[in-house]
Amino acid sequence: MEQFTSGFFMPDHATNGRVLVVDDEADIRKVVRMTLQKAGYDVLEAENGEKAIETINYGENRLLLDVIVCDIRMPKINGVEAIAYFRTNYPRVPVIVLTGFPDTDMATSMLRQGVVDYLVKPVEGEKLRESVARAMEQRELAHLQG
Amino acid sequence: MQDLTDRPAIEKLAPTKVAILGAGRGGTALLDLLHQIPSIEIVGIMDRDPSAPGIQRAQDLHIPVTYRPDELVSNHGVNLLMDVTGDPAMERFIHAHKQPTTDVLSGSASRVLWELMRHEAKLQAELFHAEKLAGIGSFATGIAHDINNPLQLIMGLAENLVDETDLQTVHEQAHEIVEAVRRTSAICRDLTQYARKTTTRDDTMVCLSNRLNEALKIARYAVSFHDITVDKSYQEDARATGNPDEVLHMFVNLITNAVQAMAHGGGTLTLATEIFPDNVKVRIIDTGCGIKPDLLGRIFEPFFTTKEAGKGTGLGLYNVKTIVTKMHGRIDVESRVDGGTMFIITFPPVSPVSGDQS
Repeated sequence: MEQFTSGFFMPDHATNGRVLVVDDEADIRKVVRMTLQKAGYDVLEAENGEKAIETINYGENRLLLDVIVCDIRMPKINGVEAIAYFRTNYPRVPVIVLTGFPDTDMATSMLRQGVVDYLVKPVEGEKLRESVARAMEQRELAHLQG
Repeated sequence: MQDLTDRPAIEKLAPTKVAILGAGRGGTALLDLLHQIPSIEIVGIMDRDPSAPGIQRAQDLHIPVTYRPDELVSNHGVNLLMDVTGDPAMERFIHAHKQPTTDVLSGSASRVLWELMRHEAKLQAELFHAEKLAGIGSFATGIAHDINNPLQLIMGLAENLVDETDLQTVHEQAHEIVEAVRRTSAICRDLTQYARKTTTRDDTMVCLSNRLNEALKIARYAVSFHDITVDKSYQEDARATGNPDEVLHMFVNLITNAVQAMAHGGGTLTLATEIFPDNVKVRIIDTGCGIKPDLLGRIFEPFFTTKEAGKGTGLGLYNVKTIVTKMHGRIDVESRVDGGTMFIITFPPVSPVSGDQS
């Protein structure tokens, strides 16, 4: 299976969708990548909000990116700030929160900002893939609406 | 006025049935603290103003409230009245109506507490513990993060192993799972050790850099270290004589404060131990918001806090100072607003020979 760690998605690579995984722990990025690649998704990684914003604005990524999976508690630019940026600048890219902290207030506030799902670690692979698949459908719709 | 100092019978204070008169800031602070101490039962709290902050707090804690002083003052079930109303009329009322066996402490909340502590060594230990436990309340986020992340790793790897056919990968991932479980179980071990009651064991030689490292681990649960650089400058054999649990507690308090001072914009936390011919010094330095000069003289007072209500007991630095004093040391602080703060703790040398560095 091909790995995309170089910071950009391959435009002409056959894929079920392209996902940006934002988490400060390399271990988490690794297993989320493993989990999503099993469903045929291409994965890019970013270790904090700042890197995530850099990545989305890099080359053709903004055109190719379908879904963002984002942690909350991170250094530099944290998840809350990064998600606010994505929602403002890329409102059509669905965002899924994947966090270690079950916090109802945070979940409510995130869902209000248009986050499509709020998942608490540890999440089963199947559940994560389902969530990403639903987000992909939403992304399709956004594309169709043009 | 009955003076507690003249009463060796103060032993009877355990268990003590306490009534608090005055539910303003001071009364609320006393309430928050004393209700956590097992040897104290709060019979009730009184304020003539039903909107006083301590009234609501008492109701939350299921402690009886009243607006009439006589209900508590002449109550047979009360053996200590703590009057923090600051009202001379209240003092006269108390002495006219109280039961002869009831003790009275009056003044500011911090003075009242100080008085109580001076006579109750056991209470001091419980106060340490109560303050430590109050702090642990803020660990939830850190613990959840540090347990759920390895759990996610374990989940992902285990799911993969179900249909992994490459034997090499199976071995590697199984090994990673074992490591992740080890890391996770260390969290529980560290925290239960920290949360337990300070042992009353005799003083021993305490390795200061080891305690600082341990405290750093604990403090990571309490506060976020994102964007904070930790700079360690240790003389490894710096030691002091004291109780290792208390030294840990003290360092956790100082490190937590230092990191909180840098919550906006990050900075550098410096931990240093140094051996001098006639003493041993620990420095804890942050590059955070600093302390205003007019507040600097008050930071070691009990109940003094600049944190918002519910975020601090106001007893952290008071306990730090108590521990340092018990160890025959001293604590000094230097601070500049927006420049940072440095705490310097100076301990007497453990052994003049081994402590002598040329």
